[in-house]
Amino acid sequence: MIKVEKLSKTVPSGDGELRILKGIDLEIKAGQSAAIVGPSGSGKSTLLGLLAGLDSPSEGDVLLQGQSLASMSEDQRAALRARSVGFVFQSFQLLPSLTALENVMLPLELAGMEAPRQRASTLLEELELGHRQHHYPRLLSGGEQQRVAIARAFASEPAILFADEPTGNLDAKTGAHITELLFSLNRDKGTTLVLVTHEQGLADHCQRVFEMYDGELSELQRQCPC
Amino acid sequence: MLKQWLRAWRGGELGLLCIALSLAVASVSGIAGFSERLQATMATQSRTFLAADHVLTSPRPIEPQWLDNARSEGLRTAQLVAFRTMVYASEEMLLVSMRAASASYPLRGELRAPKQMFADGEGVEHGPLAGEVWLDSRAMATLGITLGQTVEVGEKALVATRVLVDEPDRSSALNIYGPRGLMNLEDLGATEVVQPGSVVDYRYLFAGDDAAFVAYRQTLSASLLPGQKWLNIEDNQPALASALARAEEYLLLAASLTLALAGAAIALAAQRYGQRNIDAVALMKTLGASRRYILLHYLRQLLLVLLLASVLGGLVGVAVQYLLFASLSDLVSATPPAGSLRPLWMAIVSAALCLLCFAMPPIVRLSRVSPVHVLRRDESLEGGVRLATAAGAAGLGLLMYWYSGDLSLVIALMLGCSVLLVAAAGVVLMALTGIRRLSGRLPGSAQRLAVSSIYRRRYANAFQTASIALALMVLVSLLLLRELLLKDWQQQVAEDTPNYFLINIAGRDVEPLEAFLADRRIHHAGLYPMVRGRLVEIDNMPLQNIEGLETRNTGVDRELNLSWSEVLPEDNQLIAGQWWSQAAEPLQTNPVSVEQELAQRLNITVGTALRFNVGGRDLTATVASLRQLDWASMRPNFYFLFPEDALRSYAGSYITSFYLDDSQRPLLVDLLGRYPTVSLIEIGAVLKQVQGVVAQLSRALAVVLLLVLVSALLISAANVMLSFQTRKQENALLRTLGARNRFLFAVVIGEFALLGALAGAVAGLGANFCLFFIQRWVMQSEVLLYWAAIPLASVAGAGILALLVLASSRKMLRSSATVLLRGA
Repeated sequence: MIKVEKLSKTVPSGDGELRILKGIDLEIKAGQSAAIVGPSGSGKSTLLGLLAGLDSPSEGDVLLQGQSLASMSEDQRAALRARSVGFVFQSFQLLPSLTALENVMLPLELAGMEAPRQRASTLLEELELGHRQHHYPRLLSGGEQQRVAIARAFASEPAILFADEPTGNLDAKTGAHITELLFSLNRDKGTTLVLVTHEQGLADHCQRVFEMYDGELSELQRQCPC
Repeated sequence: MLKQWLRAWRGGELGLLCIALSLAVASVSGIAGFSERLQATMATQSRTFLAADHVLTSPRPIEPQWLDNARSEGLRTAQLVAFRTMVYASEEMLLVSMRAASASYPLRGELRAPKQMFADGEGVEHGPLAGEVWLDSRAMATLGITLGQTVEVGEKALVATRVLVDEPDRSSALNIYGPRGLMNLEDLGATEVVQPGSVVDYRYLFAGDDAAFVAYRQTLSASLLPGQKWLNIEDNQPALASALARAEEYLLLAASLTLALAGAAIALAAQRYGQRNIDAVALMKTLGASRRYILLHYLRQLLLVLLLASVLGGLVGVAVQYLLFASLSDLVSATPPAGSLRPLWMAIVSAALCLLCFAMPPIVRLSRVSPVHVLRRDESLEGGVRLATAAGAAGLGLLMYWYSGDLSLVIALMLGCSVLLVAAAGVVLMALTGIRRLSGRLPGSAQRLAVSSIYRRRYANAFQTASIALALMVLVSLLLLRELLLKDWQQQVAEDTPNYFLINIAGRDVEPLEAFLADRRIHHAGLYPMVRGRLVEIDNMPLQNIEGLETRNTGVDRELNLSWSEVLPEDNQLIAGQWWSQAAEPLQTNPVSVEQELAQRLNITVGTALRFNVGGRDLTATVASLRQLDWASMRPNFYFLFPEDALRSYAGSYITSFYLDDSQRPLLVDLLGRYPTVSLIEIGAVLKQVQGVVAQLSRALAVVLLLVLVSALLISAANVMLSFQTRKQENALLRTLGARNRFLFAVVIGEFALLGALAGAVAGLGANFCLFFIQRWVMQSEVLLYWAAIPLASVAGAGILALLVLASSRKMLRSSATVLLRGA
């Protein structure tokens, strides 16, 4: 499902070049859930960006569903994301100019799916946000905003879901609720889930945990495979 | 502090503000400097119409002491004595309009007096020397002399040394129609032609520093006798003076409105600057910064921007001035006077005031940002538009009043702008609400997203749209105004306007003269009979007994030219009654057709009975029709027209006019030789002078319009750039969600095209409002509106913004999607 070969990312800096990722290899199978943990600045978010094709690597390649991202144009990568990838961000990233419903409809329309309004509405009902459908993001609480973001991420039934610190901006109780939601949807829909987190609790829910340290990735052996 | 400022500068926030402010400084110093110097140049050229800066006319010589006083004030002086005298050659004699000039004449401009007949000749700085006389071609032809021969003026013999073609103040002379001559003032006494009782016009010419002249005029004002009168360009050349005054108003308008545009750009940049500093202010407050500290901090930054913009804008302004003059170099013959520092000083003060009024409101609001923002990022500087608008309007009004000192102009402009702003906001909000309602039914998410984005920021958008509308309105107003002005001027002086009149044509000469002109393919305006007569009664009531009729103001207190014609003259328009050839049955009394404006002043309508006195004989007639005339056509025009039968028995002569180009001028010698009793009136020189000035003015106005166009484009670009910043985040997200470039394009182009079209429509409407006020109250002319400007400006607005977006879309779309992962 996701295969990474010798992935490196170098950026120019004041003293020459800074190597953020140093030849990473990784393979995640369809339906698996994986967490990437590690200290700040270790390169977690950079890796996530490369996995989703938001950024281009300096060396190496990423294969999503067997397709090489390196050989694709920006628009081709965008089309692949529209079809197969969902995203959840730490700071929710809802479009302030659209209502909750319209935010959820957006990826459905971008992927050219039928009946986007109905699907989005059903999904929001499932997430107990039916009464908030026509509200703008600024009128929603943090937990509600993240639930809308999760609805948006799952709306197009993507094969892969990337989550960047999905509970980072939420209190413990709401965070726990969101975590539960994320994993239950992951199970129900059979989505491959890759998340970046600081929180041990969230990482513990994942079948595999990788640790990023100074641009290098290693898999932690789990006591109990969940 | 400089370090902080440099950091802010690197952040790109201050750059835009600085560009906008530099634009304000450049446009004000450029336009004000250019118009100041252009006006000085124009005034110099206009003064040549007087041959001096100021002229005192008098029916008798003034005290020599007065001239000494003038010279001691530092003024240069010259004298002219104009009179009519017989000039004798060996066999011939001729009545000539002679002027005797002192050695320093003319003080401004130059004479044209070649050393051969019917040539244009080079310019000559001063008049004839003692013992010489310069006669015009006509006088020389009639007297049958050539250059070098002697003529007698009174008791003095003078040698004709040059042919007099043109004097700078010729159009202001008493007798520009007859044969003319110029001699030296020193010879005047010896001629003995000026005797007590002679009709003589004394003219005293002054040139020099304005302040010295004002002082001199004040000391003299008490001693001035009745009949002595100061002349200036306004008295002398009403058409030219009004053209200059209108050009001045136009330049002023352009400067004020360019400033308004720059002000709007500053407001936009400051709004963005404030918005981007919310986080920093919240953080500073969390760390303990007071409101005062924050205000001072940002004020210092703005002050540095002002300093930089003054230097940059000042330099650009100087470059603009030079470019403008370079483009006019073949028209503005005189070297422009060196510019003063006043325009730059004005520009810097204006920019500071702009900054205060437009940039301060967002900064003040910024200082009120709550530190809670650090925890919950929901604060925005949007809103408070009313405060910004009010402050901006107040600042602009103040500046415009400072530039013009004309309250009615400022009120007209501000009213136009207020109407536009309110209308823009209203129309945009209404349109957006309507479109938003429909957007649920829009098929594509691109369109819906475009509409949603606009709607979400509808108040900010209303403000931005209004600013673009203002820019477009300025352009449209100036374009329309320029059209009006040019049309107005060109009507006065069309290219093939007749430049010669022939009068005193005897009846027996009519046919041969027509044949003479036809043989030489000279198209004339038609030969009209002319009978001198005086209007004495209206509806059997003597003129002097009619209540409320000021004969002096109506122009009927003198002998009028009456004429006859069987057909309605070519450029006359019948507006009431019937022309006699169309009358169904023979008329009982003599019919007469009257010019409509005179009819209005005299309270005459169709059916009114008139009585004329023609050479001691009575002529009664009934008004049969009213006509509209085109006085600027330079064709023979008459207040009163009769059928031929009514007027034929009264003695009269004929008149015609025609256009002759320079190469055909030698024909005139032949013509005057064959028909010696005919009088030739040459008005070509006067027309040429006016035409030259009109050509210069219209070129200058085109250049100024170009400057406004650049400002308008800049403000639109500022708008687009500003919104690009805010949509970077949005684009990154859309890209993450799988949106392709084409989709992002469609959203952004759709959004701006819609805003541009709205702005254009409102601008077209606003321009018509402004035009109405300006024509009605400032120019006090007939009101002409151009409704077609609304759809045209709408299309142009959509096009301009779409093009600007297209040009800069690469930069906007380059935003990387990874910004979202960094918690931005």
